[in-house]
Amino acid sequence: MNPFATLGLDETADDAAVRAAYLAAVRAHPPDRDPDGFQRIREAYDAIRDENRRLDLRLFGPPPLDRLEALLDTFPDERRHAGPESWLAVLREPRR
Amino acid sequence: MSQRHKNRPPAPRVDAPEGLAAKRAHVEDLLARGKARDAVEAAKQLYKEARTVETEALLVDAYAARIRALIATGMSREARELASLVVDRYPGTRERIMPLVRESAARVEGDLGPLLALRASSADAATRREAEITLRRVIVDPRALADHPALPEDDPLRQAARVVSELFSAVTSGPLPGGALERLDVISRHSPLAPWKLLVRAIDAYYRRDDAAVLANLSAIPEDSAPARLVPVLGCLAGNAPALGRASLADRVLLDKVSAGRARFRAGLAELVDALGVKDQRRAVNVLREVAEVVENAPRTFRATFAATVLTQWMRLDLDPRPFMAALRRGRSDVEMLRQLALACERVGAWPEALPAWDAYLAAAQHLDAFPRTGREPSRVLLRMAGLIPTDVDEVLDLVMAEDEAELESLIREGEIPEWFDRGRLLDRARAAEPHPDVFRALVAHWEARDARRAETEAQAWRAGHPGDLDPLLFLARAAEQRGAYRKALDLLGRAEAIDRVHPEVRRNRFRILLSSVERDLRDGRVERALEDIERLAAEPEAAGRDRIGYMQALRWAAARRAGDAPAASTMERELDEHLANSVLVDLLLGSVAATIGFEAPSVLPRLAETALTVPKLQAIEGLARAADLLLPLVRPLGPPIDLLARIELNPRGAPAAHLHSICTVGLRANRPSLAYAAAGAGLELESALTHRFLLARGRALAEVPLAREHPRARQCLRAARTLAIRLRDQETLAEASAALRRLRLSLADMDDDGESEERDLTAEEIRHVIELERGRQMMPRFEPEPLLRPRRRGRRQRRPSVPSRRDFLDFLEPSP
Repeated sequence: MNPFATLGLDETADDAAVRAAYLAAVRAHPPDRDPDGFQRIREAYDAIRDENRRLDLRLFGPPPLDRLEALLDTFPDERRHAGPESWLAVLREPRR
Repeated sequence: MSQRHKNRPPAPRVDAPEGLAAKRAHVEDLLARGKARDAVEAAKQLYKEARTVETEALLVDAYAARIRALIATGMSREARELASLVVDRYPGTRERIMPLVRESAARVEGDLGPLLALRASSADAATRREAEITLRRVIVDPRALADHPALPEDDPLRQAARVVSELFSAVTSGPLPGGALERLDVISRHSPLAPWKLLVRAIDAYYRRDDAAVLANLSAIPEDSAPARLVPVLGCLAGNAPALGRASLADRVLLDKVSAGRARFRAGLAELVDALGVKDQRRAVNVLREVAEVVENAPRTFRATFAATVLTQWMRLDLDPRPFMAALRRGRSDVEMLRQLALACERVGAWPEALPAWDAYLAAAQHLDAFPRTGREPSRVLLRMAGLIPTDVDEVLDLVMAEDEAELESLIREGEIPEWFDRGRLLDRARAAEPHPDVFRALVAHWEARDARRAETEAQAWRAGHPGDLDPLLFLARAAEQRGAYRKALDLLGRAEAIDRVHPEVRRNRFRILLSSVERDLRDGRVERALEDIERLAAEPEAAGRDRIGYMQALRWAAARRAGDAPAASTMERELDEHLANSVLVDLLLGSVAATIGFEAPSVLPRLAETALTVPKLQAIEGLARAADLLLPLVRPLGPPIDLLARIELNPRGAPAAHLHSICTVGLRANRPSLAYAAAGAGLELESALTHRFLLARGRALAEVPLAREHPRARQCLRAARTLAIRLRDQETLAEASAALRRLRLSLADMDDDGESEERDLTAEEIRHVIELERGRQMMPRFEPEPLLRPRRRGRRQRRPSVPSRRDFLDFLEPSP
């Protein structure tokens, strides 16, 4: 999981921005109500809380996933509206 | 009459010859399997052999199937020529074949006119129905029907086509407003547009992420309808089945546009998992080529995770990374790929390959101005490289075939091996790039074991550059303490206290240095000064607690003995007995103080030898445990009698977890792994919060069994300990377990047969299994020392190439100048 994305931050965020985003995220996911969400936020914050950690993430990250199959979960799950033409092109194509 | 009619075959005989049933069945089978061309040939042959009504009907069936196949593949002209031929030869088939001709015209030329005319003119319901079924097969765009001039404005089919066309256009262009699909209700399930209604609903469900509804709607679309062509594609988008292998160009374009490449990636990933599962590099490379474009267009964070995950798996399988890089369209000097390669080498434990990869990364990044020649980035990378070099210098020397560090230095100087084999040089470069405290910390640690003066010089430079840092002061104080310069050490600690008075390390160091000062004064006979310092010691927060207070009393006892005041010493011994309430502890304490001061304590040691065997076992365990907790952190001698250790080792069960844990520490520190093994075993039988510590002790003890006989067990215990430590956020145990695992991995005899990385954490179930197994192990392993198997280097061996590498593939990574 990208810690910047978890905290809704740009990768150029500084210490203050990271801290502010962390506190806002904790308010939205307090540990007593959403322990899993809080854990994710905490881990994300730990990964980028200071300049050294952010640099280390840039130079030596991200860690590999345990399983290749898990890569699918990190691929953006977009469903774009492409208009009717691409769909019709398939229908107009002769069957093989 | 045409020549063709002249040659018309005679009227078929009514009776079919016997024995042709098998051939007829063969034709029917070919038709069922969609082999229309073969079916025509077989039916013609059959008809030649037996001209019956049945064989003629079968031949016409085969022709009809062939005409359909030609229409489906876009061969309209050929279909119509064949249809004309069949109608000409068998006029009775006109009613059956002509709809196919109309379908061909509609499907391929988009001319719906003949079908609509037939539908409008026919009073015959069956013919009208036939026309509508054909329409269902050929409507590839409902707008063509909605706008067709042959349909009256008020025709329900035209109105339905308009609804479908509008909704299809809307649903593929953006989110539909609520209730929009209700307009589809006007279309009956018998309408030629019924499959389109299902398709529009399926697409709407897809964009609403209701994949179950997508599949339900798709499953109701008739296979011979025009929208059925989209069923596999939409099914793939909704995650039903990969379609990459059989997808046409139009399919791929649609999949990529709508899912932003996700559908193609999912199909490729499944293929990649299969290929790597059987270590099929060629197939895996082909898949990577397939998904390269999709990966390239994905967000940067995904690309990095993808490369890290796949390349690490790639390296674990010992595959060549060059085809990997080529498949992803990355050159040998691609900065990001070099970084990923270095990291992947690290993860599989290939540090000799990781170093040149990092070096190449550094050179490429600086060449491309990705980061400057000096500054934090190069400093961090160089520091990382230095951290990769094993702490066991023999491992480096073995690799480069050098006798000692002096020869290593010489080889580097002469350019025979790259300088990255010398941690000191890498750290010097890192400091030159940026004198960061982390670099100084590594420099001090590096030189501490090699050159104490150089280490102090680095610490002083660190202090000068970062006057607010505690660490250099603590190091310098420790160095002064080791030289016996206690006053200097205390002065440095005073400066440290000015920075952070409550820092635990500062307080611990102050206590220890004061203690060393007291001990030296007692050794040198300066009793008065020693007593003053004992009182200063006693006032330190570190002197709090029953056992520490007892220790202060033991120091006073030593002062009394040094001063020759035997009665006072005897009184103090009795007071100590009462205060500590454990004779084993008292004797161990006094014995330790006596040994440190340097005088014999005849009243203590014989008594300890005796009490070790006579006091209740749990009392003996408690005494040893408390003494260990007190003395080992102060780096003071413990000196337990062998008989005491042997007695505890025999059966430590029944003691509390905390005491057993201390006994484990004693066993490991005293080079008596059997004691640690036994105490850890007893500890694992308890349900305590120290289970992870007992697993660690058990693993470390098992690692000491000669010839690596118990290394697999040791590894499992250590992995379990590390996983639990992560969950408990116990950094100390985590570090110890990781270090022990690293040492195990470096052991020659500990090659992992199944290639499984010891880096993987265990599951809760696996940890339970390890604990149960260890609880069940009653027999003590053999810890007797064996002769050293690994011979030291003798004489010079043939030198290896300048870049030692287990894999040839890294040859392309040239070291930076």
